[in-house]
Amino acid sequence: MIASQETASKGQHIRIRIKRSDGPGKPSYWQAFDVPREPGANIISCLQWIAAHPVTVDGEKTTPVVWDSGCLEEVCGACTMLINGGVRQSCSALISDIAPNDGDEITLEPMSKFPVIRDLWVDRQRLFDSLKRVQAWVPIDGSYSLGAGPKESPDKQGTRYTLSTCMSCGCCLEACPQYNLEEDESQWPTSFIGAAAISQARLFNEHETGKQLKRERLDALMGPGGVSDCGNAQNCVKVCPKEIPLTESISAMGRATTIHAITSWFRR
Amino acid sequence: MASGPDTKPTLTPAQIQRHFLLRRLHSLTGLVPIGVFLVVHLVTNSSLAWGRFALRGKGEGLTVAEGGVKYFQHEVTFINESVPHLLLIEITLWVSIAFHSILGVVYATSGKSNLQRYPHQDNWRYTLQRISGYVGILFIFYHVATLRWGWTFLIPEGTKWSHSFSASTLAAAMQGSTEGFTIFGVAVSVLYMVGVTALVFHFANGLWTAAITWGITISAKAQKRWGIACAGLGAGLMLAGWSSLIATMTLDYDEAHLIERQMFIEKYGEAEYEAYVEQKGIETADPQPEQSTGSGGGE
Ligand code: HEM
Ligand code: SF4
Ligand code: SF4
Ligand code: FES
Repeated sequence: MIASQETASKGQHIRIRIKRSDGPGKPSYWQAFDVPREPGANIISCLQWIAAHPVTVDGEKTTPVVWDSGCLEEVCGACTMLINGGVRQSCSALISDIAPNDGDEITLEPMSKFPVIRDLWVDRQRLFDSLKRVQAWVPIDGSYSLGAGPKESPDKQGTRYTLSTCMSCGCCLEACPQYNLEEDESQWPTSFIGAAAISQARLFNEHETGKQLKRERLDALMGPGGVSDCGNAQNCVKVCPKEIPLTESISAMGRATTIHAITSWFRR
Repeated sequence: MASGPDTKPTLTPAQIQRHFLLRRLHSLTGLVPIGVFLVVHLVTNSSLAWGRFALRGKGEGLTVAEGGVKYFQHEVTFINESVPHLLLIEITLWVSIAFHSILGVVYATSGKSNLQRYPHQDNWRYTLQRISGYVGILFIFYHVATLRWGWTFLIPEGTKWSHSFSASTLAAAMQGSTEGFTIFGVAVSVLYMVGVTALVFHFANGLWTAAITWGITISAKAQKRWGIACAGLGAGLMLAGWSSLIATMTLDYDEAHLIERQMFIEKYGEAEYEAYVEQKGIETADPQPEQSTGSGGGE
């Protein structure tokens, strides 16, 4: 199988069109590259080839194309970009799937909801800040041992496992009509937080120890840019590579904030 | 410093609560009172199509259209004379519509539709929810301005709105004249079809999203099931809305006026009728001698 594919691909090319930009705030421009088809190739391996041979289809020598990546096995989320207009991880995007024939074209663009650092590399800091906003962690830091934690039910563990596979890739934010590019960092704390952080707030609220910060998380989700700013377009759940039930998390946090609003009103 | 939350919102609890309250009130007003009113209004109007069959014996000898006029007029009279606190209900509605619409525009302009890239069904509904909101409020404004405040845009003669001559007024407004369709009537009819369709969609889809907003349907399966229920309700309301529109568009002004005239005379007498239409400037129709229709309705 692999051997025959190898011989079939000899001498074949794919054309990769890339939306480039030389730095933050710099204008974007398109360049195309012809890359030899290799067996088992993915977008990252093609980008590596381009980095080693930075010559466009017009024979023009150019700078190597910059991109971000880490794990190369679809668990870190760093290599997320728009491939033929759809948002996904480039390390798991196989050439044989997306461009099966000789001369097929692929377009690559940086994600549009985060500031571009250079070429295909974007700055996802707002996403990490949103995790801080909902304190997406279990509060066990301290100077002495706190001993064993409370018991966890297997049922909840099941729910949590799926939620815990989020890799902060940003696909759900890229596809969301309510989440838009915001270059001004001072606006981040009140701009829409996005599905990923809403789902992470649910993950840690469902955790017996993580629960200690439940009220703070719900407060954060009730304010401007919180869960109620979601418009129910449900694009997020369709593009999440980890198939996290984001719309269920959104509704679950809708319920939790409703109850929280009422109980905290009576607690005052 | 476990958190290092330099980006934690510096909002006061009051600001947070206020944002949440406004969002939830927006959702609530869409359902009650606006949504409930929409249902009642469309079902009442649709009696123009089925009223003949609700007259229970009082509709003998009447055509479907005539029976519809009679029952519809009967309902309009009931609403105006027997529903308590009508003014209070109206004020609540107006305040709610203003609140929901103003916030609706604010919320709608905070998003950027991306249908080209993500043409999913849910995303279509997201976009249509916003478009139907805009269309809906423009239609509501036109609807009330012409039928209530007597504006004459597209209705050159204006409507001599009277609660006692409801169906014939509507026929004249929708057809553009008391003599049948004019070019203005076509425009008004199209406007009504678009407006009613937009509002029914907006309400049915809003009912679906509201269940997510409030956290009633959490699982994807529950959301799907509730979606089917909302689509069913939407289809029923579409049927009600469209049937009343078709009934009004095909209604003969004179025929409707004569039935309303008879109901008016039975209630107030002939002299009162003459004075009333004179004072309001309502176009009358000549009663045909053979037009004798059993004992009168109304109460
Ligand atoms: C200018 C007129 C209107 C505009 C711009 C508008 C806009 C909107 C928007 C943008 C939403 C989605 C809110 C969100 O998900 O964040 C919405 C929801 C809703 N609207 Fe309207 N609307 C208008 C008029 C109406 C009318 C006349 C009705 C009654 C039939 C209505 C009923 C609803 C309902 C039930 C919801 C669902 C609330 C929820 O998701 O929780 N709206 N509207
Ligand atoms: S929820 Fe899914 S799409 Fe969103 S950041 Fe996490 S893994 Fe990516
Ligand atoms: S459901 Fe909410 S979070 Fe998900 S894409 Fe739609 S608006 Fe964004
Ligand atoms: S490099 Fe980690 S997900 Fe692609």
